[in-house]
Amino acid sequence: MARPGRRAEAVLSWAAHDLEPYAIQRHSRLKIAFVPLLIGSYAPDLMSKWFVYGIHVGGLDLKASDPVQFHRGWPGVGFTHSLLFGVVIALLIWRVFGSKTWAISFLIGQWAHAITDTGDTVGTMLFFPWTVHVHIGAWAYAGQTGRLTDAAAYFSGLGGVWDAVWIVYGIFSWRVLTRSYFEQHVYSADGFWASANRLFPMAALLVLYRTAFFYGTSRWIAWTLWAHVVHHYRYDISWGGPHWVTAAHSPPITWPQLAGMAGIVAAIVAAAYAYRLAGRRRGLTATRSET
Amino acid sequence: MPSRRQLAVAAGYVAAAAVYIAIGVAYTDFLFSYFVGLAYLLLVAWLVPAGVRRLF
Repeated sequence: MARPGRRAEAVLSWAAHDLEPYAIQRHSRLKIAFVPLLIGSYAPDLMSKWFVYGIHVGGLDLKASDPVQFHRGWPGVGFTHSLLFGVVIALLIWRVFGSKTWAISFLIGQWAHAITDTGDTVGTMLFFPWTVHVHIGAWAYAGQTGRLTDAAAYFSGLGGVWDAVWIVYGIFSWRVLTRSYFEQHVYSADGFWASANRLFPMAALLVLYRTAFFYGTSRWIAWTLWAHVVHHYRYDISWGGPHWVTAAHSPPITWPQLAGMAGIVAAIVAAAYAYRLAGRRRGLTATRSET
Repeated sequence: MPSRRQLAVAAGYVAAAAVYIAIGVAYTDFLFSYFVGLAYLLLVAWLVPAGVRRLF
């Protein structure tokens, strides 16, 4: 472990992870619980990002000596950004809390985060324990440069543009933030809200529901102002930019690796299809035996 | 189209966001925690309006 050059104490993830849950909530045909969906969307960085930037606790400065390796690699906690991690935690939630809806909602949120982070130049070990990093390299990964430079770089490149897409999409989907939508679709889908309603009024729960959207959108505007009005960092929305920052990179994906990934995805899709087909057959058999 | 009441609620959130952004640009530590954002929003969008309604 290395000592960080400056004091840093908070957890950070960028706006897409705040805003994606609202789009998923709106468009998913599955029964979704918003709270575990949001927790799933935050989970990978919640468990890792504090140590990437460094934390100051009780006179101790803690920071990963190799932030990129720690955050996205193995050895490290890069497995938190994998599909398998989402499945394992979802199964634990199902087992411990007995709620399939919470398990699936967490899984969808965590998968959204893991897939979104393949957009940068380091990417994620999506198919962990296979440790190849899936990355499309659209924006620079600069977590190792410290949180302020990371913020400046992110909001100067395609990462910031990606977040802006979610904000615009969210504004066009404004109904998802209304009280009536919350009461009809969010509150009724999850017993958590009724339990919370015994302690807090509906107005407070509504604020809780809207917070991630408020937080993501406000932070996007604040960081953009900070980076480009207060500090004049240069915009560079070229692929893999901004190139003024020293970005971390994963090695390019080879054709055999790509073929392997396609094989894994095909196997998952085939297994899901077979499971669905088997479920339908079981349903048909049950109906026939009843008649 | 949103109703007048929905627009009034949205205007309240926009005003709250303007203050949050101003504080955040001046003190970036304010922007790093979801829980700070949650506490701020609970204060300005629930507790303060509820207190004002109780007073008047």
